[in-house]
Amino acid sequence: MSQKHQDKPRKNPPHKVILDLSKHINKNVQVHLTGGRQIQGVLKGWDPLLNLVLDEVVEQLRDPVDPYKLSGKQRKLGLLVARGTSVMTIAPVDGLEQIENPFLNKPLV
Amino acid sequence: MLPLSLLKSATGCPILIELKNGETYNAKLHSMDLWMNMSLTDAVRTSRDGNDFWHVPQLYIRGNTIKYIRVPELVLGIVEEERAARQQRRADRSNRSSGGSRRSAGGGRNRHGGRRDRRDHPQWQ
Repeated sequence: MSQKHQDKPRKNPPHKVILDLSKHINKNVQVHLTGGRQIQGVLKGWDPLLNLVLDEVVEQLRDPVDPYKLSGKQRKLGLLVARGTSVMTIAPVDGLEQIENPFLNKPLV
Repeated sequence: MLPLSLLKSATGCPILIELKNGETYNAKLHSMDLWMNMSLTDAVRTSRDGNDFWHVPQLYIRGNTIKYIRVPELVLGIVEEERAARQQRRADRSNRSSGGSRRSAGGGRNRHGGRRDRRDHPQWQ
């Protein structure tokens, strides 16, 4: 029976974590939260539910007129726990940069 | 063809994801799980109004914030290949096992849907 399963990759167990955050520990990460808040801070800890511990957190405030735009202002939040259910995206800050439109000569996908 | 298995086959392909907040991401799909949480590499984030762009080398997206995903057409070919390979493996396996198999020769192979996959799980053997 066990031999049968050796030739194919195992199915994902339901709790499989597809993201290994341990290599980003003590690194700066950018996190988008549901509702639109955008924060940046040093990743201090995490769990499989993606609850995060972040330190030296700064929130990038949004434009009160157009909440989809950033105002350029910041707010210091310090040490915080971000609840996994409200974490939308996580991205390491290293290498993250604003660029020119890369799709001018290319269709999307 | 199930949505999640299509996406699974698209692993490694460039895809476009639009989030509920209107932002889109063009990126290579690195991995995903049953909740459609995705890990992406080499992503380009486009703002909701389509005027601002960011390069994001690595990105994790929570599945429940996704509105839709565009997948390249060639993934259909990959799905077909994987299906054929799976069928082949299954045929080989049933040939190898002796005639006293609990599954009749054709019956198990022609089934469709998730049940067939669940049978592959050790618990069901």
